[in-house]
Amino acid sequence: MNVIEADHLSKKYGKDSTMVEALREVSFSVPQGEFVAIVGASGSGKSTLLHLLGGLDRPSSGIVRIDGEDLYALKERERAVFRRRKIGFIFQSFNLIPVLNVEENIQLPLLLDHRQPDKEYIRDLIQTLGLTDRRKHLPSELSGGQQQRVAIGRALAYRPAIVLADEPTGNLDSANGREVLELLKLAVRQYHQTVIVISHDMNVAAEADRVLRMQDGRLMSDTRGGSGV
Amino acid sequence: MNGYGALSGRYLKQQRKRSILTIIGIILSVALISAIGTMGQSLTDNMLQRAIYEQGAYHFGYGKADAKLYNELKNNVLVGKLGFVTEGQDTALDDTFKIRLSEVNADFFELAPVHLQEGRWPQNDREAVLEQWMLSHLPGKPKIGDEAKLNGPDGKPASYRIVGVMINSKNSQLNAESSAYTLTNEGGIPSGNFIVLAAFKPGVDISSHLKAFSGMGEKFKANDQMLAYMGESSDNNINKVFAIIFGTLIGLVVLSTAAVIYNIFHISVLERIRQFGLLRTIGATPAQIRSLVFREATVLGIIGIPIGLLVGWGALWLAIKLMLESGFKILQMEDFKLTVHAWIIGGSALIGLLSVYLAAWLPARKAASVSPVEAVRGAGSIVRESFRRGRIPSPLQGFGVGGKMAAKNIRRNRSKFRITTFSIVISVCLFTVFHYFTQETLFITTDSNEEDRIAFSVYPNRDTSDKPFMTQEQMDDLASTSGVRGVYGDYWSNGSAVWVPENKLNPNFYSVLRRTPAEMQRDGAKYVFTNGIVNLYDDARLKDSAPYLVAGTVDPKKLAADNAVLIVQTVKPVDPKDGKRTQLDMTSYKVGDKLLIDMSQSEKPDSFQEVTVGGILSQSPFGETYLKDNLNMMAPRQVFERLNKAVPVQPGEESQGPHMYGIDIAMKDGADNGAIRAKLQALVDSQPNIRISDIAAQQKEERQFNLQMQIFVYGFLIVIGGIGSLNIINTVQTNLLLRRREFGLLQAVGMTVRQLRRMASLEGIWYGALGSFWGLVSGYVLSYLLFIELSGLQGMPFRFPWPGVLIACGIALLVGLLSVQGPMSRISKANLIDSLREEA
Repeated sequence: MNVIEADHLSKKYGKDSTMVEALREVSFSVPQGEFVAIVGASGSGKSTLLHLLGGLDRPSSGIVRIDGEDLYALKERERAVFRRRKIGFIFQSFNLIPVLNVEENIQLPLLLDHRQPDKEYIRDLIQTLGLTDRRKHLPSELSGGQQQRVAIGRALAYRPAIVLADEPTGNLDSANGREVLELLKLAVRQYHQTVIVISHDMNVAAEADRVLRMQDGRLMSDTRGGSGV
Repeated sequence: MNGYGALSGRYLKQQRKRSILTIIGIILSVALISAIGTMGQSLTDNMLQRAIYEQGAYHFGYGKADAKLYNELKNNVLVGKLGFVTEGQDTALDDTFKIRLSEVNADFFELAPVHLQEGRWPQNDREAVLEQWMLSHLPGKPKIGDEAKLNGPDGKPASYRIVGVMINSKNSQLNAESSAYTLTNEGGIPSGNFIVLAAFKPGVDISSHLKAFSGMGEKFKANDQMLAYMGESSDNNINKVFAIIFGTLIGLVVLSTAAVIYNIFHISVLERIRQFGLLRTIGATPAQIRSLVFREATVLGIIGIPIGLLVGWGALWLAIKLMLESGFKILQMEDFKLTVHAWIIGGSALIGLLSVYLAAWLPARKAASVSPVEAVRGAGSIVRESFRRGRIPSPLQGFGVGGKMAAKNIRRNRSKFRITTFSIVISVCLFTVFHYFTQETLFITTDSNEEDRIAFSVYPNRDTSDKPFMTQEQMDDLASTSGVRGVYGDYWSNGSAVWVPENKLNPNFYSVLRRTPAEMQRDGAKYVFTNGIVNLYDDARLKDSAPYLVAGTVDPKKLAADNAVLIVQTVKPVDPKDGKRTQLDMTSYKVGDKLLIDMSQSEKPDSFQEVTVGGILSQSPFGETYLKDNLNMMAPRQVFERLNKAVPVQPGEESQGPHMYGIDIAMKDGADNGAIRAKLQALVDSQPNIRISDIAAQQKEERQFNLQMQIFVYGFLIVIGGIGSLNIINTVQTNLLLRRREFGLLQAVGMTVRQLRRMASLEGIWYGALGSFWGLVSGYVLSYLLFIELSGLQGMPFRFPWPGVLIACGIALLVGLLSVQGPMSRISKANLIDSLREEA
């Protein structure tokens, strides 16, 4: 069963002479438990695609279905709640809430839903991420790699159907980058999550089950990766 | 952490500096509201107290009542207190003095403007109270507790026990006639006609019931002034005007409060808007973001409002205390009550809270509507900055790189610029409007001049014109007594015709009076007839006229040498149609102009005399501050004598001449009058022909009222000015501290600290200049609107307080400049890398 379905997705910015077509008629689908890499040059439309898949932006035309739900048929509020429960985000610049400590940052999506976090699961998650002795630290007290691990933890806290990662290793050295990648693969393996990663990093592409190549807003190729999970 | 709501607490804690700035803003605003409330309430209390002192506490009365009306009123459920007075018969004490014992009931003492100095009110028809000065004129000079023989209300002489003395009134002493009161028989209602004073029961809606009573009896009179201060005027127009004036003032304060808090909140939200965007990406709904901002507002409000209430009250207390210590010594602190009313505390807290929510509303909406995509793009600030080109080049660009950068900074971020300028505009505008309003309140409510200070007068019992009743040496001796401010002679004034050149006469003057004046041609010019009064001012009076001098001189020698007089051109003519008084300058004479005076008022060509305008006074230093429709002139002795020669003397009468008929003695504020009183008593004992009028007690009360009023008004302005300055400092500093990263960046690309400081200083000055300008403009407009309302109460010219307001603008400019310096030196000392790292 496909967790993600993108159907003729287009996104245009601006009007008339200044109009930019960031995304043109992109269609693809991703089954559950797949690790997908989207690669392409800067300005090729990968980030726009990711934002549309995550319900952050609105497409100019086309449909996105996550878990069978038409994302853009939902109201703004419903989409926020859907995002909170079904989608986990990881960003290049970590984007943690600076006033919350590691544990609180990870639990935040649950708290937004007025739910008490499953303590055991969160403890497991923190342990898996190797952050047990950093639980009470603020983001400013962590290294970049550690911060990104917190962001992964936050993305996985709600056990979302899909995890979307935008250059998750972009701000990290190669050792930390590899570690983050391993964690994402672990998520696919352990929790059967679907992960979509945008990256320049050829290592990431090499690790993926499947690689989508973008150019000028179009999907140019869709290849099965070599490594597999 | 049990819920996402705790996030707001975390934000507040982590951004302690920002939170404190916001709380300071709330404190200042609430302090302002509570200070204004307390001030306004104390002001009204003070005016009401004064009206009751002068006019009595009754609500309405009848000058001619009978037993039937009295009983009707007594049985009326609305009437709470009912006093009456039956005029008694005079008792002649000797050739000069008379005392009249009137019969009253117990309520009368509470309702009438009579004031006990010592002892108590009579409790039966054998006891009496009288004025203090009367005691020494009664046979045997009785004291409290002694008996005195007086003609009773029925005209028959009887013996009364004196149980109390009342405060002396000036009129009774001047007229050598005094009132005394005894209590009527229990339950006795007098026969015939008498005066009735009545007060409603507490809680009765006075204004709506007053009309029904006006037709019940003859010579109905409402205690209008006092009712007006109670907000119960029978004249609905006055109530409405009061409501509009106070509505405007309070509305202005609420608006500015909300604006100030909004400013700070807005900045605080703008700077964090990226984080709100992040929360949106992980699934926070707009409502959740809004509620985060409102939670912050609530916490800040709960901290700021109670402190604000305390600060407002404390600032007033301090202002008043400082003023008392720096000269207003007449008041003791314990006499001076700053009333704490529950409604002021509750009202200020409520308005403060509402302002906080109102102020948080727009920033909360802004935070909630932030697009998550823009937040995750993460390229620095996501607040879109619009840079407008093609406008007039800013004058700041002439100040080197710093100036150019300052000009660009100001244009780059319009909303921040507007916020900062707006808080200065509000401060200057508030100060301007309140300055205008308090100045006019002072003008309308207090008629204060040197006359207030006169505590004693001395008159000869029989006026003999041949030689002065007191020598200059005697007067000098009195003047040198400790506590005495001045000793002035009293002289008769002379009326005169003043022919004013047509171009010097205010055309509105005769249109208010609805009269057409006489005119004449002289030396080819047209002159218009007006009335004038020429007063003789001796050297002491001239000397103490100096504070009122607008132009010219008060030097007696110079005036005499130039054949010159002082004039007061301001008058308050009464419109004969509606009885409304209008204040205006009837003429526009300048120092050095010639006055054409006809003392004989005969219009014969040879009776005209010319005098020079030697000085112009803002108001009369003694007597009535403004005359109704006469040009008020004050002449030194020689000039007066010269003018007086033209006054025709009726056959069989002697010329009044520059003849002194009495002296007035003014006391310094708060001075002990024991020494002068003893000296005067010795004088009376040695010179049986003279008598003293002792109004020291009354003078002290009146002076106290006037001073209290001034203390309120100036205290008020000090508080508003202080709070306004703090507000400017707060906003300008918030603005700078939030731009640390930007300053770090500028330093990184090679801007020196000096250039940076210059840039920030120029921005500060520019904020101050623009803020002052718009504050002045809006303040002027609002003052004018208030003026339109106030002139419904009493006609007056629009006097905009230019000097005070311009000083306020200068201070705003200076505060703008100075408040930049503190944060700048902190920024220049800060580590560059740290500033750059700071979360944008």
